[in-house]
Amino acid sequence: MRVIDLHTHPIFLRAGRRRADVDRLVAESRARGVVRMVVLGDVLVHGRTPDAGQIARINDETARVVRMHPDFFLGFCYLNPLLGARAVEREVERCVAGYDFRGLKLELANNALHPSMTPVMRLAARLSLPVLQHTWRTRPGPERRQQSDPEDTVALARRFPGVQVIMAHLTACGYRGVLEAKGVDNLVIDTSAAFPEAEILEYAVAQLGAERVVYGSDLPIREPAVTLGRVLGSRLTAAERRLILHDNAQRLLRLSPPC
Amino acid sequence: MLIDTSAYIGAWPFGHLPARSAAELGRHLRSHGIARALVSHLGAVFAPDPMPANRTLFAETRRRPALVPVPILNPALAVWSEHLDECCRLAPALRAVRIAPGYHDFQLDSLRVSALCAALQERRVRLIVNVRFVDLRLDYFALKIQSAGESALHDFLRAHPRLQPLLSGLTLAELRTLQRLGGRFVADIPFVEWLYSIESLVAQGAQTRLMFGSQTPFFVTQANIAKLESALIPASARHAIGWRNAARFFSLPGA
Repeated sequence: MRVIDLHTHPIFLRAGRRRADVDRLVAESRARGVVRMVVLGDVLVHGRTPDAGQIARINDETARVVRMHPDFFLGFCYLNPLLGARAVEREVERCVAGYDFRGLKLELANNALHPSMTPVMRLAARLSLPVLQHTWRTRPGPERRQQSDPEDTVALARRFPGVQVIMAHLTACGYRGVLEAKGVDNLVIDTSAAFPEAEILEYAVAQLGAERVVYGSDLPIREPAVTLGRVLGSRLTAAERRLILHDNAQRLLRLSPPC
Repeated sequence: MLIDTSAYIGAWPFGHLPARSAAELGRHLRSHGIARALVSHLGAVFAPDPMPANRTLFAETRRRPALVPVPILNPALAVWSEHLDECCRLAPALRAVRIAPGYHDFQLDSLRVSALCAALQERRVRLIVNVRFVDLRLDYFALKIQSAGESALHDFLRAHPRLQPLLSGLTLAELRTLQRLGGRFVADIPFVEWLYSIESLVAQGAQTRLMFGSQTPFFVTQANIAKLESALIPASARHAIGWRNAARFFSLPGA
């Protein structure tokens, strides 16, 4: 079994920074079959709306982790779209050119429908970078200004059909989120976050196809054994599991087989 | 070998979870290497009277020694003690009773809960307190259910120092807080999650109070098995959490 974990935070709220912590994570992940791991950054260490300096430090930290095991880790560039088009562009170009980051990570600075997303998505289209958007089902209200409901993330993907969008957190998107995603071919859902709720993965595969679901653990918030166990313990075929655990991410990240 | 302290039959109204009979649950758990399970009927959670579901539970598990029936009682009901009497009649070797604050209309510091605790201690029946069945952040949007908070649980433990309930559904943070505050309790693991969670709890000496639970059918059964199996802990701790603590705590014969 080969696994690509598309959603991780090896450093989270400053924990896990030591070389020994990273080495242990890599060794244990490899033992579980994980061959590549996407590092999304310590995204909440400075709150929901970090400034440009804080964003740069988070991305530098991601790059430091990637450098420790470049054959294992891939970095995504964490952004705060509210900092504006020029700041976003500067940071993305710095991270893509300097660190070979492979995607963009958006968390809780703003809703996916906020106007500040337009330059982010245009940049993603220009550089062919996937965009991973934190998503959690959220009722209309103040929280929705920062947190994207599946409806918002799907609308973002529809607005920019040339950008590959990864809608994070299958269980938190829920059945409604799965149904929102129907017919939006440039959007995949990752399995990260929340407890290993039964049946929702099978439902997502039945509604969207196994090609539209990718594995993510959201470690350290989640236990990789649990997040893998939910896929391996599901009523899916071996071929569907292989797509979710590896092949879809390989295609999305443009990794040459075997990765 | 595993003993599962949190498994359920019956239907849950939200989500597309399998609504298993006792026979189906028994087969399902056996296929995952779970030798024994404490089982409750989900029909008792939302029904105004939990006893029809409890009677079904006793009837379905009667000839299935691998499934240990745990009725869900509602101490908010005036007739809770009659319900307990009936449960004890239907299952003379009753091991435990489950209550669900948040789902039923009572507080843990109510007089009726105190009376229930006294009655259970007198009968040597264990109490399981379900802190949550599901991740309440993701519950059906129109529900306003709140889990029993750490402070209410701590007060409850202090008020009943000899009770030692099983607190089912604690998160890692809640478990650590209650450990720090002190009090006699044991806990199951389905909602205990963080990288290396079991390992870190065992390092703090918590293996004597932890018990395996799969949270079937809410969770993928394999997921919590993998959590325990993959934890880098001594075999003795794995056995303790996997079955020995539950066998001892619930006095399960033959385990």
